[in-house]
Amino acid sequence: MQFGAQHALDSLDVDVQSGVTGLVGANGAGKTTLMSLVLGLRVPTAGQTRVLGLDPRTKGAELRAQIGYGPERNVLPQDMPASDFVKHMAEVRGMPRNEARGRASDALWLVGLGEERARALGTMSTGQRQRVKLAQAIASDPALLLLDEPTDGLDPVQRDEMLSLIRQVSREYGIDVVLSSHLLEEVERICDHIVALDAGRLVAQGRLDDLVGDEQGVVVELAETADQAQAFDDVVSRLSESRLEVRRGEVGSRIEVIGPDADLVADLVRDAVADANARVIRIERRRRRLEDLFAVGTP
Amino acid sequence: MSGNAKSSADGAEIHDRGYRRYEGARSGVVGAVRSLVWQTIRSILGLGRPARHKVFPVIVVVIAALPAVVFLGVALLFRDLGDDSLVNYSDLFGFSVAPIMIYAAMVAPEALVRDRRDGMFSLYLSTPLTRPTYVAAKALAVLAVMMIIALGPVLLALVGYTVVGDGPDGVVEWFKVFFRLTAAGLVISAVLAAVSMAGSSVTDRRAFASVAVILVIFGGAIVSSILVDAADFSNTYALLDPMGTAGETATRILGESPEQGGSVSELSDIDTGVVFLGTAAWFAAGAGIVGYKYRKLEAT
Repeated sequence: MQFGAQHALDSLDVDVQSGVTGLVGANGAGKTTLMSLVLGLRVPTAGQTRVLGLDPRTKGAELRAQIGYGPERNVLPQDMPASDFVKHMAEVRGMPRNEARGRASDALWLVGLGEERARALGTMSTGQRQRVKLAQAIASDPALLLLDEPTDGLDPVQRDEMLSLIRQVSREYGIDVVLSSHLLEEVERICDHIVALDAGRLVAQGRLDDLVGDEQGVVVELAETADQAQAFDDVVSRLSESRLEVRRGEVGSRIEVIGPDADLVADLVRDAVADANARVIRIERRRRRLEDLFAVGTP
Repeated sequence: MSGNAKSSADGAEIHDRGYRRYEGARSGVVGAVRSLVWQTIRSILGLGRPARHKVFPVIVVVIAALPAVVFLGVALLFRDLGDDSLVNYSDLFGFSVAPIMIYAAMVAPEALVRDRRDGMFSLYLSTPLTRPTYVAAKALAVLAVMMIIALGPVLLALVGYTVVGDGPDGVVEWFKVFFRLTAAGLVISAVLAAVSMAGSSVTDRRAFASVAVILVIFGGAIVSSILVDAADFSNTYALLDPMGTAGETATRILGESPEQGGSVSELSDIDTGVVFLGTAAWFAAGAGIVGYKYRKLEAT
């Protein structure tokens, strides 16, 4: 996907599975552009897109009838009651009028705005408006839900509630969700699959469990004091002698110790630290995080 | 999803189905267009919105209907004056020029500009609607609302004249007049809807869009007047006045030319085909600008 000379998305080969998929990347990574391609709002400069078995370029209207989209932008009409807006969007997405009225009400109750459904959207808080965006996206019972930065502007409590709602929608009603976010922590919390983008390129994709999680070994952080400089080298030396792989971390006092059995490695680290009379700040299991994907993917 | 049901002793049940999957039929693009048309009409007329949004449409409708009501009253009170007390339909269209222009300047900006400014346009394109079907739905809504002002007063007059016994003779004649009035109102509404939508396509500020629409309508009238009346150019240049051109087309459709007792205008001696072409050109120009702008408009 190219805008002039700039590649918004480049050499992207993505296969999204059922469940909740997190589309992660910094602002400008190409997340919204990818969603536009999925919706058929943009045409790729080269390559193919298939969504729910349909080509967005040729079956766009048919495809979009099966998709609920929650945009990042604040698009809600100010003086329209929430129930009217959600009902209208359900109708536009193909619900018969009478069905749309009931489903709008049900969707608003589901997102916790049942009591507020008659309120004008302009009088609602940011958190309530994000919930309305979710309600309008699910009211038409989509097969696929595309949510662009659904927690944008929310405080931590509201963010937790929104993430729980999204998880509930996917688990209880079997609606596949693709949500974009630049907050890796929230994606790790609710997503089954990850598509990580950086500057329009694919950094990683796959099951979250395969991409992040516990690895063999531990991470040790020792106290940095003037009298401990030798102690640090002693610890590294002793662990290396035990045929463990030892990597010095970016932080001077941090080392990663990799071995076949994390418990055994932890015991050996404990002994080495005690023998060297070093002071330990932190010791934990070695774990891959989403940030690591970007660190690896960045040239 | 299975719903929850609570039973009472008398057998009554309260069903709380809550959110559930939907297996029924979907209305597709037709339903999407229908919903957007209706929602746009509601928005323009202020329906389902706070009272302040209803004030302006109501005032314009009242002003537009006033001449028809007055002439109906005159016809009723001074029946012994005969047909001389009756105003013809093309003159009634003429009396509605000011409210129609004001309405044209208000309707399309309300229908189009808001959607682009607040991002609803992009949200609509994430549904079965496409750019052409979106614009078609908006055009239908704008046309329907313009018809209220353009056609409402003359239909009121037709019904009123009929009730007081001064209407067309016979059912066939009545329907002839009715269809001519409808066609005339449709032409005026279509031209002004196209001009109004074109003005609303070129700016994302509603106020600027309204000013642009008024400038095109007034500007066209002023330029044609200067060229024809002051500079003594050919009367054909009066076709540069969109409202005058559409009004003259309505007059021809109604069969109320000066020879038939109608009012005289700069376009009265222009061939009917040329007048119709001028009207079509105004409509095509407006529609062309809308189509061009919306084809280029970015949706994210």
